[in-house]
Amino acid sequence: MEFRDNKAIYLQIAEYVCEHILLGKWKAEEKVPSVRELAVELEVNPNTVMRTYELLQNKNIINNKRGIGFFITDDAIEHVKSYRKVLFMEDELPVVFRNIYLLNIGFDELEGKYKTFVKENFNA
Amino acid sequence: MNNTFNINRFGLLLKRQWLDFGKIYLISLVVLLGIVVGFYGYNIPSPLKDNNFDYDGNLDMRFRYPLFLILGFVFISIVASSYFNILGQKSRAILELMTPASTFEKFVAGVTYTAIISLFSYLLIFYLTDLAFVKYLNSHLNAFNHPGIRQAESITKEVFNDEGYRKYCSYFFAFPFLVTSIFLLGSIYFNRFHYIKTALSLMIFIGLASYLVVKFSMWIMEGKVPYHHNYRNDDKDWILLALLLITSIITIIIWAITYIRLKEKEV
Amino acid sequence: MNKQHHTLVYYLTNTVDMININNLNFGYSKHRPLFKNMSMRLSNGHIYGLLGKNGAGKSTLLKNLAGLVYAQSGTLDVMGYDPAKRQPALLEQICFIPEEFYLPSVKIDAYIKANAPFYKNFDHNYFTDLIKELDIPVEQKLINMSYGQKKKVIIAFGLATQAKLVIMDEPTNGLDIPSKAQFRKIMASAMTDERCIIISTHQVRDLDNLIDTVIMLDENDIALKATVEGITAKLTFKKVKEIDDSIIYAEPSLSGYNAVMPNYHHEESKLDMELLFNAILAEKIKFKPLFS
Repeated sequence: MEFRDNKAIYLQIAEYVCEHILLGKWKAEEKVPSVRELAVELEVNPNTVMRTYELLQNKNIINNKRGIGFFITDDAIEHVKSYRKVLFMEDELPVVFRNIYLLNIGFDELEGKYKTFVKENFNA
Repeated sequence: MNNTFNINRFGLLLKRQWLDFGKIYLISLVVLLGIVVGFYGYNIPSPLKDNNFDYDGNLDMRFRYPLFLILGFVFISIVASSYFNILGQKSRAILELMTPASTFEKFVAGVTYTAIISLFSYLLIFYLTDLAFVKYLNSHLNAFNHPGIRQAESITKEVFNDEGYRKYCSYFFAFPFLVTSIFLLGSIYFNRFHYIKTALSLMIFIGLASYLVVKFSMWIMEGKVPYHHNYRNDDKDWILLALLLITSIITIIIWAITYIRLKEKEV
Repeated sequence: MNKQHHTLVYYLTNTVDMININNLNFGYSKHRPLFKNMSMRLSNGHIYGLLGKNGAGKSTLLKNLAGLVYAQSGTLDVMGYDPAKRQPALLEQICFIPEEFYLPSVKIDAYIKANAPFYKNFDHNYFTDLIKELDIPVEQKLINMSYGQKKKVIIAFGLATQAKLVIMDEPTNGLDIPSKAQFRKIMASAMTDERCIIISTHQVRDLDNLIDTVIMLDENDIALKATVEGITAKLTFKKVKEIDDSIIYAEPSLSGYNAVMPNYHHEESKLDMELLFNAILAEKIKFKPLFS
């Protein structure tokens, strides 16, 4: 995994975990890698992964079964989506809005672009 | 856990030190053997030579004594001088000092290698070489064509069968230990050129000490009349005993200083 | 007896500091002090990154902890022992990886045979795993190995001793790129709750995701000791187009500036250790109130 420059590592790891859940690589009620395993895989301090897991626990994406490890909750996907939505609204949308404003792009134009994008990429 | 001395740990330390020190040590033993054999081969009486007998009419083996003493000095001093020299190199000293053994164990390992093992192996090598040459010589006595020729004796027999020799030797018992202790201290005291620096310091010290002793005795004796003229054997014994005591004490003091130096060694 | 008791308390409560430095004064000569009245506590369960300019005393501090040099005054307590006494009970709990080292002219198994028995917790299987993972040739004599290979051998050996205190002086120096990645993986797995790991480094980029607490030495003392979490709670590291008053320190980059500023909006940025390092050296006074 390549870490980007701008965001705290533990948040980037949280995104990494969320990505795995959304893509179905890690499924509901499955065990996630232990703190140490993930720390070794990502070459980071285990304390950082612990912080990630605490965050994901607070968001009800994973839960801690004492003595066994961390498991993905059965409604993890819902929680991931709402978590990601907040992140998107707070972090990424303002940047997009700024460009829309600066470049004078109309909402109609955007809507059309958005629909073609969805069609091409997700066949929806 | 005993943090001063533990016999198991000490055994482990001796084994560990052998890894580093052993190779140099074995090589120097081979060199030593070569030198002893060379000297014996060159100096031993032979039918091809003219002067094969000493003034008592025995086969002339007198070259052995200076050889034994000089070579012995050189060998044990070189071995002692190379023991702690690793502490002079930063990179080696760190791993040495970080080895989980107490300073006392590290020190005793040093003494064991330099004073006991080196001395013992020197005596052994000299003894075996001498024995081999003497045996060979005795089995070829006929070649000398000399009527009444007597068998040569090994150096140990010669020394230990003679009570005078034996007594003398026992007084000088501490000398080799003194030599090793001085060079062991030199190896930790100096960071480079341990041998030369130790030898030089020793020479300067002896020179200075002799000068002072002579000056002092001249100052004490000057203008005084000798009390007794007769040579007394008791005096000699007393002096030799003092010599034994002094060399032993100095050896122990130098070892103590070495231990303290090792304790205070920083990298 | 007292010492054993001390160690026991440490294991049971987990709260006694592993290392306690109190008013340490040290200098290689009387006139040029390196540390003046330095005090610091380090505990288990962390990877400390020791940063500082050349000559700031990183190696020297590590040597003080390992008992390789002696303080002029002040006290040093490592797991209940005074490291200057060099007692075997402490030495077997310290894994010290110096920058320069020497290995004898033997193969690995002979080296292990001679050295491992000193460490009663030495884990031979773990050592074998590490040797494999680090691609160290076992048939070669240690003395003939390259600097990087030798370094990997002593790192593997040191970690296999299961020592509680791991001290590493520039461990990634001399390691090639794949070895650096292996090293990071190994350190991530070596970090346990009982261990205290201290790593000094110039090459922060090699290790910045491993370090959880930054210790910076400057001007005879500790200029900063803070967790990564603590630092990013107070400071934001980000790219900006223009410099304004809120910025404490900035360095020009391709697309504007890399800047450090107070974290007013609870942003969660990634700590840029190199930038922080330069920022503290340049703007000492501005950082003092933030971390005292």
